[in-house]
Amino acid sequence: MAVMSIREAINRTIAEEMERDETVIALGEDIVGGMGTAGGPEAIGGIWGATGGLYAKFGPGRVIDTPISESAIVGAAAGAALAGKRPIAELMFADFVGVSLDQIWNQMAKFRYMFGGKTKCPAVIRLIYGAGMNAAAQHSQSVYAMMTSMPGLKIALPATPADAKGLLTEAIRGDDPVLFFEHKAMFGVKGEVPEGEHRVPFGHARLTREGGDVTIVTCGRMVNFSEKAADKLAADGIGCDVIDLRTTSPLDEETILDSVEQTGRLVVVDESPPRCSLAADISALVTAKAFSSLKAPPELVTAPHTPIPFARELERAWLPSPQKVEEAVRKALAFRS
Amino acid sequence: MSQLGRDDLLTAYRRMATIRAFEERLHDEIKTGEIAGFTHLYCGQEAAAVGVCHHLADDDYIVSTHRGHGHCIAKGCDVKAMMQEIYGRAGGLCKGKGGSMHIADISIGMLGANGIVGAGAPIAVGAAISAKLDGRGKVSVAFSGDGACNQGTTFEAMNLAVVLKVPAVFVFENNHYSEHTGVDYSVGTSNDIASRAEAFGMKAWRADGCDFFSTFEAMRDLLDHVRGGGGPAAIELDTERFYGHFEGDPQRYRGPGELDRIRESRDCLKAFRSRVREFADISADDVDVIDGEVGTLIDEATAEAKAAPPPPPEAVLEDVYVSY
Amino acid sequence: MPLKAFTMPKWGIEMSEGMIGEWSVEEGKPFARGEVIALIETDKITNEVEAEADAKFVRIVAQQGETLPVGALLAVYGDDEPSAEVDAFIAAFRPADARMAASDTEDMIAEAAAETEVPPAAPQIDDSLAISPAARARAESGHLDVSSIAGSGRGGRIMLQDVEQALRPPADPQLKGPFDAQGEGNGFASPMARRLAARHGVDLKALKGTGPRGRICKDDVLSAAGAGAAAPSGEIEIVAMSPMRKAIARRLTEAKQTIPHFYLRRRVRADRLLSAREAAGRRGSVNDYLTRAVALALREVPEVNIQVRGTEIHRIPTADIAIAVATNKGLLTPVLRSAESLSVEQIREAVGDLAARARSSKLKQEEIEGGSFSLSNLGPMESSSSTRSSIRRRARSSPSARHVRSRSTTTARSASFPCCTCP
Repeated sequence: MAVMSIREAINRTIAEEMERDETVIALGEDIVGGMGTAGGPEAIGGIWGATGGLYAKFGPGRVIDTPISESAIVGAAAGAALAGKRPIAELMFADFVGVSLDQIWNQMAKFRYMFGGKTKCPAVIRLIYGAGMNAAAQHSQSVYAMMTSMPGLKIALPATPADAKGLLTEAIRGDDPVLFFEHKAMFGVKGEVPEGEHRVPFGHARLTREGGDVTIVTCGRMVNFSEKAADKLAADGIGCDVIDLRTTSPLDEETILDSVEQTGRLVVVDESPPRCSLAADISALVTAKAFSSLKAPPELVTAPHTPIPFARELERAWLPSPQKVEEAVRKALAFRS
Repeated sequence: MSQLGRDDLLTAYRRMATIRAFEERLHDEIKTGEIAGFTHLYCGQEAAAVGVCHHLADDDYIVSTHRGHGHCIAKGCDVKAMMQEIYGRAGGLCKGKGGSMHIADISIGMLGANGIVGAGAPIAVGAAISAKLDGRGKVSVAFSGDGACNQGTTFEAMNLAVVLKVPAVFVFENNHYSEHTGVDYSVGTSNDIASRAEAFGMKAWRADGCDFFSTFEAMRDLLDHVRGGGGPAAIELDTERFYGHFEGDPQRYRGPGELDRIRESRDCLKAFRSRVREFADISADDVDVIDGEVGTLIDEATAEAKAAPPPPPEAVLEDVYVSY
Repeated sequence: MPLKAFTMPKWGIEMSEGMIGEWSVEEGKPFARGEVIALIETDKITNEVEAEADAKFVRIVAQQGETLPVGALLAVYGDDEPSAEVDAFIAAFRPADARMAASDTEDMIAEAAAETEVPPAAPQIDDSLAISPAARARAESGHLDVSSIAGSGRGGRIMLQDVEQALRPPADPQLKGPFDAQGEGNGFASPMARRLAARHGVDLKALKGTGPRGRICKDDVLSAAGAGAAAPSGEIEIVAMSPMRKAIARRLTEAKQTIPHFYLRRRVRADRLLSAREAAGRRGSVNDYLTRAVALALREVPEVNIQVRGTEIHRIPTADIAIAVATNKGLLTPVLRSAESLSVEQIREAVGDLAARARSSKLKQEEIEGGSFSLSNLGPMESSSSTRSSIRRRARSSPSARHVRSRSTTTARSASFPCCTCP
């Protein structure tokens, strides 16, 4: 075990996988940085610092700095994957799926199916997502729910450095296209990361707290918020199961339903507006498949149905918070039918 | 300078000086941590924004970029309201909801700074379609950089503008860096963006974006062409970025002494001062007075923005729809 | 005539099978229209089957005394077709699916029957089966064979809900059937509002909605219906009974028919009870006091505290009293256990809890089973009764549908204890 940040875990995982398999390549805007400048390559190493050092190690053939051309980046990743490579592309902000949506949505997600299973598209797109840094409406979104709705894509959202390594390794080695979401406010989060090979299979959620009174289902940065709420509630004798989904597609239904069958109460915490969100999806799943276990209506802790505002006060009001999670848990417990 | 009177020149200088003072103040204030989010400063490119916008009226349109403060000020946005917006105040130009990257004032034809590289050009074509339908000689200007010139959206917009023969102007401010990558690396057409526009079938100009007069004159010819019904046109402005891609960028990609050199030789304000003294009846005092007034304006704008109240949390739910 | 099937007829919604009591005609011998051709018995009746036309059976398939499901082939009408042709007809015969309408009640009957029997040993659930832990536990406690359940979880995994569904009687079909939602000219109204508007003859165009964005909703229509005193249309509305109501009706009828009834009526002066209740701050309803009184009486007179099962008398050690609760789905009678050990206050709490859960359909099966005594609920009458110094009420306890269902028969005694109901 070594203690490192999510940033380091991602950086090392990419390096290890590139080391291990020469078909793994990396591409994206400024993932090297400084190309064509006096400062020269590696002058930045990705604005998130997650791709630093790769260029020096693996060279320009396999670490490809691109112009600002998201559609071409994702499309190129899809094409390279069809042609036998395992590309890891970076979208500097997840919001830029808007620019590259066709390549994600109509191309890489559908190749295998459209082509009758005769091909695979083992591309990984790293998307840096999430609010909390006042990056305003076009640089803060969590588009994982929209992407989760798309058959053919796998969606991973690590909440810890260990999972960052385990899920990214799995994403790179897996044969399907994966959208790998990294929260921009979590790159500095530190934790223990297993040395050597560490794979976290997709579709296996992580039970981070066991309480038994209320089930909190969440992912990404909201895991941390939910754990904070759960710890506070535990001091008041209220036990929460906190489920970190790790991947929203495939979804670990068993862990969710098993927990709800015990607790009868569901709180979903989702860093998205509520409509067609992960929260809506999970609560639909639970009401459909564990209806008789529910003792209270599902509580959805989400952002409001608005774009993400810039001002600190507004963004704070927009985001779910440990406080809002705690209130939702108490509301679920107070419910009497 | 035949077409630029004393008032024109002083107005142009005031606008450029305002942009410079505004951005340099932000550069200092951002370090205090009071300003949230990402801020991309326009310092060094003032002559480009002002040289273009000096030809535009309130009913001409511009679409800006993530590096948009200069375009806003050049087009006439209220500086104090801009400062409040960047501070995330309720009294900001966008009520604190947009921030630095999304400042807009539709009432004066400023259709918004834009956080998505390459998003502006198609929007500008739409405004140009509207202008053409209105038939009052209005034009629509898309500001793009050497980064946005590599986006498919920009290519599509240029082709559409040519096909529709609309009064769209594609201004490419080539500051040599798309974020942290050099233009020699990222732009395949050998550091030449204008030729791309030409390839789409429109007329293109090239000018020095660090020289107000060069930009102004090229834009005059360009707009004669566009307003005269000649269809869309493009201009590539060679310019410089005095700060990093965003505030906080360590700029390790710069060469040794690069910033000192460009500030010494490529400062559009310095160039303007020396040129006006050569040609016109403007004294150093006139310019100094403007500098003083601009300084006072920015002082006031900053003080007011700091003191202004933040938006109430419930405002988060407002302005999503006109009706719902 | 071509070969034609004579099948087990279906008399009434509950008939699922019948027994050939007697063939009144012979194979190959013609009979005339209106002639009795067979006697068929069900668990309720024996009925004569008359010929619908002049005809004859070329083959009689069902044997006398044989019990066969509705729709089963009993005989074949024909002329003098070759035997092979008749054989082929019989081989090709497929009975119509007669289960449809009967299935609801059949399942309930089956379930009721199952309750009186010793539960079968819990089938072994294979460790490798995809089933959630809670579902496994419930299946085991409910003695449910999960092998035939199609799981609704991922990859067909059996969830708790699937098990509970399998253990539960079928759902109550409500508001079924087509409905004329009226044209678009009726404004912006919710489906429920449209339905109610049609029922009450309310013109939606004349209404101003109070719902979101001016939508006409249920309350708008109901208040308009009240205000306008719109006369209901002259047609008789036919509403299908829910299975639960059908079961209640059937069981009450059964109780009435199979148990000797007699009635005792007493008028009770309740002044002392009421003043005691007044002194206690009116906590606890009159009914709660009556429940307590019944409990104490049952302890004093254990001969009454029994269940009669066939030829056995089962003495109940505790005073387990079924409390009638009217719910919008029908009458439920949750059983208050060991009422003799509870104070009025405790009875109040316990009954309140049972009633609330009865109304929200949250009662457990064991909570509606057993007991030796039923008590009607005065609930809604309570406030007016408390203002009077004496109540004039007739007393009668009510064996409820559920109550009957949990026993093979019931006793005369439980239908005759003096307590109160409204005049």
